[in-house]
Amino acid sequence: MTRVRITLGRVEAFAQLDEKNAPKTTKWLKGILPIERQAVHSMENGREVYVVLDAPYHIEEENQTIYQTVGDLIVYYKPAIFVKPEWPRHVRDFLVIGFVYERDSAIRGMSGPLATNLVGRITEGIDELAREAPRMRREGFEKMRISLASRDGNA
Amino acid sequence: MRKLLVELGGTRAVAEMHDDIVPKTCDAVWRVLPVEGMAIHANWSSREIMLHLHGEKILRLPPEGPVRRGTTAPGDIVYFWRSPQMSRGKQLAYSSEFQRELSELAIFYGDPAGGGLAADDPARSGRDSNLQVSTLFATLIDIPREFARKCEDVRHTGLQRLLVTRLGQ
Repeated sequence: MTRVRITLGRVEAFAQLDEKNAPKTTKWLKGILPIERQAVHSMENGREVYVVLDAPYHIEEENQTIYQTVGDLIVYYKPAIFVKPEWPRHVRDFLVIGFVYERDSAIRGMSGPLATNLVGRITEGIDELAREAPRMRREGFEKMRISLASRDGNA
Repeated sequence: MRKLLVELGGTRAVAEMHDDIVPKTCDAVWRVLPVEGMAIHANWSSREIMLHLHGEKILRLPPEGPVRRGTTAPGDIVYFWRSPQMSRGKQLAYSSEFQRELSELAIFYGDPAGGGLAADDPARSGRDSNLQVSTLFATLIDIPREFARKCEDVRHTGLQRLLVTRLGQ
């Protein structure tokens, strides 16, 4: 059982990776941690915060859902126009990892629901994230860090 | 055709009102100008910034003009009102005044405009009820690149002061 620590601005949360149902994605994720990137708030999906992973990873579809809910930790390819103000010349999507912190959110592509790999669940600190993200909408976004917290029960 | 000047963080854009299509809405907005406040970026409607109307400037207008079905173009400026019972989530990013009833000017500054969840979820249009009013009443004449960039900045760096005034009268 692997836990990851999510640090957003002034708060911290923990997620448990779903290694049983998303073995490839969680293995990949553990391999690239820790990551620290500029956090971005969704402008099209509701209460979602994500970071762009700019390395050329190829992530297979796994444990997918179009019914994302509060506390889900998700990995997917987001249409580039939702990240950049203009379409990049030859890039059409960016690999992102993010989470949903409040109801009334759903991940969208250009013309409808977008399936995302569900890689884990936030088990501690979702309320703190749900306060920090709106604060950052008002005061400006800072970085998000995701790191391993423990593996197999070890701290 | 009356015109509006929109100023955001040292940048400017000019909009033309749709007096011929939605005259009552245009008159009502015109009467409360100038309006000023801190603009916040949308999180459902893609490239949109919002200016919440407050105090004596709050507008509660009936629907007017052609039915809108969620399709929104860059440059659209929409009068939007949402009744308290239509509130979505906690709205903690808004000041307490707007966490229930919402009266705002929505400025769509780029592509995609009004996309994402707002466009794909018909329940959000409120078009079959008067619980949510969304009237397209003005359009930006061009969209200066620096103005659009400043709007995008709101998404990343937080609230920015926005001023909407009458132009040429």
